[in-house]
Amino acid sequence: MRHIAASPDFREGFTEMLPACLGLVPFGAVCGVGAAAAGADMWTALGMSMIMFSGAAQILASQLLAEGAPFAVVVLTCFVAGLRFLMYSAAMAPYLKSLPARWQNALAFLLTDQAFAASIRRFDAKHDPRGGALHFLGGGLALWGCWQVTNMIGYFAGNLIPARWSLDFAVPLCFIALVAPHLDRLPTIAAAASAAFAVFALAGLPMKLNLIAAGLCGIVVGTLVDFARERWTAR
Amino acid sequence: MDRALTLWAVIVIVGALNYLSRLSFIAFFAQRQMPPLLARALRYVPAAMLTALVLPMVVVGAPSVATLASPRVIAASVAAVVGYFTHNTLATMSVGMAVLWGLEAVLR
Repeated sequence: MRHIAASPDFREGFTEMLPACLGLVPFGAVCGVGAAAAGADMWTALGMSMIMFSGAAQILASQLLAEGAPFAVVVLTCFVAGLRFLMYSAAMAPYLKSLPARWQNALAFLLTDQAFAASIRRFDAKHDPRGGALHFLGGGLALWGCWQVTNMIGYFAGNLIPARWSLDFAVPLCFIALVAPHLDRLPTIAAAASAAFAVFALAGLPMKLNLIAAGLCGIVVGTLVDFARERWTAR
Repeated sequence: MDRALTLWAVIVIVGALNYLSRLSFIAFFAQRQMPPLLARALRYVPAAMLTALVLPMVVVGAPSVATLASPRVIAASVAAVVGYFTHNTLATMSVGMAVLWGLEAVLR
């Protein structure tokens, strides 16, 4: 273990992730506040952040449970929001192919939006699977550790933070930071726009089913526009 | 169902589903090509799903002139523009929070 932590690639990955960790402080804190609002005790809140390890899933689960949504709807909504991990997994797979299974299993657990973005950059820049994996591990562990601390800060200190700081606004901002850079292709814009329309048009659906329905609607529209554009340019 | 039990059931099941999604192509389908239709559809999951999650957090109630001219909507729009051009999480979030605080201070 010690030789891993001492490797320059691991350290580089770890330190490179620290600015992103700073950006996650309010997000993690809001997740902790959400867990407290959903009636979780300390260990349950810690279980959420350690095991689910996904801000979107944690926020959705807390909000839906606090509003009394049925169990199946909570699980389904979190699962659909987590489908993006399939895409990250597929994009990451070629780089991790040559690694032992235990490395693959460990790195998969640490695969998040931020870790994915940072590691793909690194794997593309240098052709070195082992160094890239160590870099990934360093960044992933930095994020995971920071995530537990910030969630606990939110859980315990959440009610000390004045409401007029509007800290909850950090959650949509964090998602906006993830989405906005990708809105430069027509199909992606169409996916976002149709999801935006559907989430309000279907707001009358019970149990917050409008979130899933709008997400699926956006995925379908984005895919169709992608196909249509391909046919159009092929002509 | 008891509240604590429900929470733990959600944690374990969603945690497992998320882990399996993360592991899917790295471990199980490593030797297999992703079906082209699935690959294409998955490309639009973040834009569609995250947009659907974000908007109800920003726009309070049904969209109308009154709800769309709120400080939150303006701050979120400015943040989106910053994110689009800078690709920088920290800059996007700082500008978004700063605009929200500024507008709320002015409007108070």
